[in-house]
Amino acid sequence: MRLDWLVAWLVLLPIVAGLLSLSVYRSTLRKALVLGTAAILAFMAVLLAAVTLGKGSPQGLDTAPWLSTLINWLDFALVAYFLYVGFRWRHYLVAGLAALQGVLLSLLEFWQLPHGLTVHPTFLLDPLASIMVLVISVIGSLICVYALDYMPEHEAHLHLERTRQPLFFCFLVGFLGVMNGLVMANNLLWLFFFWEMTTLCCYELIRHDRTEEAQASALRALWMNLIGGVACVLAMFLIYRTLGTLSLVAVVQEASLGGALLLPLAFLSLTAFTKAAQVPFQSWLLGAMVAPTPVSALLHSSTMVKAGVYLVLRLAPALFGTVLSSALAVFGAFVYLAASLLAISQTVSKRVLALSTVANLGLIIACAGINTDLALAAALVILIFHALSKGLLFMTVGIYEQQLGSRDIEVMEGLVNRSPVAAVVGIVGMLSMAFVPFGAVLGKWASLEAAATSTSAWFPLVAAFIAVGSAASLVFWVKWLGRLLSTVPLREEEKLEKRKGVYAYGTVLGLTGLLLVASVLVGGLVRELVLPAVTALGYQPQVAANWSGWGSPYGFFTVWPVFLVAGAALLLPLLTFRARREDYRPVYLCGENLAVEEAAFRGIGDQPVPLETGGLYLSASWGEARLNPWINLLGLMLLLVILLVAGVGA
Amino acid sequence: MNGTNGLLVLAVLIGVPLLGGFLRGVDRKLTARLQGRIGPPIWQPFYDFLKLMGKKTLISSRATLAWACGYLALTLLATVLFFLGQDLLAVVLILGFGGACLALGAYSVRSPYAHLGANRELLQMFAYEPVLLLTAVAIFLKTGSFQVASVFRQEGALIHSLWPTFLAVLAALTIKMRKSPFDIAASEHAHQELVRGVYTEYSGKSLALIELAHWYELVLLLGLVFLFWARPWWAGLLLAVFSFFLEILIDNILARLRWRTMLYFTWVEGMGLALANIVYLNLIRGLL
Amino acid sequence: MGLLTKARVKSPWLLHFCSSSCNGCDIEILACLTPYYDVERFGILHMGNPKHADILLVTGPANRRNYKVLQNLYAQMPDPKVVVAVGTCACTGGVFHNCYNIMGGIDKVIPVDVYVPGCAARPEAIIDGVVLALKKLRGELEE
Ligand code: SF4
Repeated sequence: MRLDWLVAWLVLLPIVAGLLSLSVYRSTLRKALVLGTAAILAFMAVLLAAVTLGKGSPQGLDTAPWLSTLINWLDFALVAYFLYVGFRWRHYLVAGLAALQGVLLSLLEFWQLPHGLTVHPTFLLDPLASIMVLVISVIGSLICVYALDYMPEHEAHLHLERTRQPLFFCFLVGFLGVMNGLVMANNLLWLFFFWEMTTLCCYELIRHDRTEEAQASALRALWMNLIGGVACVLAMFLIYRTLGTLSLVAVVQEASLGGALLLPLAFLSLTAFTKAAQVPFQSWLLGAMVAPTPVSALLHSSTMVKAGVYLVLRLAPALFGTVLSSALAVFGAFVYLAASLLAISQTVSKRVLALSTVANLGLIIACAGINTDLALAAALVILIFHALSKGLLFMTVGIYEQQLGSRDIEVMEGLVNRSPVAAVVGIVGMLSMAFVPFGAVLGKWASLEAAATSTSAWFPLVAAFIAVGSAASLVFWVKWLGRLLSTVPLREEEKLEKRKGVYAYGTVLGLTGLLLVASVLVGGLVRELVLPAVTALGYQPQVAANWSGWGSPYGFFTVWPVFLVAGAALLLPLLTFRARREDYRPVYLCGENLAVEEAAFRGIGDQPVPLETGGLYLSASWGEARLNPWINLLGLMLLLVILLVAGVGA
Repeated sequence: MNGTNGLLVLAVLIGVPLLGGFLRGVDRKLTARLQGRIGPPIWQPFYDFLKLMGKKTLISSRATLAWACGYLALTLLATVLFFLGQDLLAVVLILGFGGACLALGAYSVRSPYAHLGANRELLQMFAYEPVLLLTAVAIFLKTGSFQVASVFRQEGALIHSLWPTFLAVLAALTIKMRKSPFDIAASEHAHQELVRGVYTEYSGKSLALIELAHWYELVLLLGLVFLFWARPWWAGLLLAVFSFFLEILIDNILARLRWRTMLYFTWVEGMGLALANIVYLNLIRGLL
Repeated sequence: MGLLTKARVKSPWLLHFCSSSCNGCDIEILACLTPYYDVERFGILHMGNPKHADILLVTGPANRRNYKVLQNLYAQMPDPKVVVAVGTCACTGGVFHNCYNIMGGIDKVIPVDVYVPGCAARPEAIIDGVVLALKKLRGELEE
């Protein structure tokens, strides 16, 4: 298939399908539309990966000039819409930022850029873009399919007169096309367009339920992301002034020119931070959880926030050896630590997931800042596996939410007895975020090794942040797992999985399978997918990878023994060990216990008192109220330092 | 895997628990002597282990047994990898997974004492895990590789330049050996205010497996101490023996502290020293 | 004697339960742990948890208020296990005999293997009782 057709399919198919879904009110038709789009999109993504990896060198792709003009006008349309939103909701921060963006954009388009500027090429297809497209199109598509089950149930609780699903699926599916465009764009103006489109999709999806809280969260997400937009336009100004072009590859290639590019790169990093919800912008992502769960799954795993880290990774080679790179490393590692600490005290499941997302994105940014081949490989491994695990976890939590009617972790106590399939899937997801043989933590391992092997004076700090953050993440995952596991044996509990939606359970189980296969074959994945991407970015990878594991000249991790041992040790006893009823004894309650299944003790007057246990949250030590001011302050200061460093360097 | 490695694995699988059990016996005997008692025979831990294996199985949840197996298996794997000279950071992370299994087993039945113990076990991990990770980084800065084997290719002893890190490891060792003042997850010996904390719901075979895992863990940690003075080997051995006795002494002269104190101490003393050490080494490396 | 039996005899872990005793016998039990008597010589450990214990030491008579606690603790101990009634009260009800709330010796509620009389039972007697219990444990196993 020709490359331009492939790109057109990847970008336009979801957008067209999304627009089509606006007029689809029959659920069978909608299912057909979404399933069809998902299947084709995933296939196309695999095809693209095969093509780019096969070709070896990055492939450029030009578009007709009128398309660029169209994009420019669409940019202004977007700004106008944001302006409208600002006035409509009397949110003058949004309006102000949109106006500022409009002014800057007009200045750029009409004053600085020559008329009919062509940037060559418009799209750049390299392994990094292919990895992103794979993540977006495979995991994102699965999430869209999952939403087919989630949304009808979600709306059943809202008692709507007329279903709002057409609008929902329009933005959900369209989002994938926009993201695909974003990661393949090389022309910064196109990138900016897709960037603002993701902001728009995100805004519309967060406010989907039209509640007051949803609207407020959506507006917060909007203004924070508009800051990023403004920074992006500023960066384009500076880049054009220095280089005379707006090509992303040119920026990376010409970076050796020296300090002049440092400031625009810092602005682009700022843009990326807002999108990736890094401290102090994390609050928009935390607020975004009011949206229906497929939205959270999409925002966290395959779209939106991943756009931020994608940009940083794309620019990493340009930063190589600069002081800005070190600053990014310290900043990212700090965010990893801060978000992990904040997650300890959270009682709401989706907030824990959100903070863990912020943390992992911070780690990816730290890796980009460490800026060695190993670090970049680590970043990509974290990116891929985080998308798999977090997509899985959000979808599972969505299932719990609809079964329990709550997002609270405390309500999930003993879920393995009540909702076994979903609980086991969730346990696999959490283990995959917290423990070693799984990809996300292997990435952390590699990032720590990369931090140690890099020679800048700042890296001990980075390593220390990662080490403490890693321990904190262990604490919050294990204690949540503990709540799911905490059962009362022999008790006949009401089973919650009465109706196993074929799309919800199908996608969740499918993603679990994908996650497990990818985790076992991580070495191969690194060799076939990640290393080509790292090479294409301009690093000479010394990373060693084969089917049994991966590593660097400094250390190697063989994956399969850990999987074999842990799997056998955990599964064999469960499969082979059968307990009879009379082998059970109640838990130790100083002898005051009643029968096993009652989980109660004798209180005053021999009255049974039911046994209650609660999770560990330590909010007195790591509560948000206590930590947030400090963390936001430090985050802000680090951001200023980054800009200052870049400004002085320039 | 070639023949020598196979033999080594076999030796670790069989030899390490023998050594670990023996050390635990020495520990109990010494503790008794320090308290003016005669104490149990040196072989006592093996009797305990055998007896526990022979107990009839009574359970409060099926999952506890599985997690106990997980704890043992992962600790064992970490030990084997360590003695095969593999990646130290990987060993620490696998050990972390193992430790988490212990807590997860305690969490898998609704039991207040076990949950309390598991929570505290997590806090312990929160305290020592960063120290161990940074120790691996510090050793890397000296040897230029994360592989344990590289320590033996190193000229001279690590402890000359890594003594602050060594002190940090001692703090982590106190927690990992479950010694006062940091035995907060499960009270050792006759202290019973937590009943048995994280072990409360483990019994019989699963408790025996945990005991076995402790032996592996003990030897692994002493192996880590050994690395600090790996050449000549007898100096490392002396260092390990010295640390072991030091921990027993500390155990007997100190009362248990609260978890906050534990965190402050391990982070400020432990991580502070390790970090200072790393910063210094990193600067030196930059200058050379 | 098989290895397992030997291990059992060498490693008896105690659970001590005070069932409405006057605390006289309890103090004597604790005295056994002191350096003077040092029962850890025999591998004896004092456990706070029935799930880990092999020998149940009970002081004081069975009592209507809390005999269920005693039964529960006994049920939570995994086999093989032995019960030692320490002190006259635990054996027969002792000075509390015929009291309105007393059911008699603890053998009214759980099976008892060894009786250690005395008011209070002396530490030497308690240690003797435990050793007898070990014999019993061994005898049972050899049967
Ligand atoms: S036997 Fe005597 S000392 Fe022991 S509990 Fe009874 S009254 Fe008290």
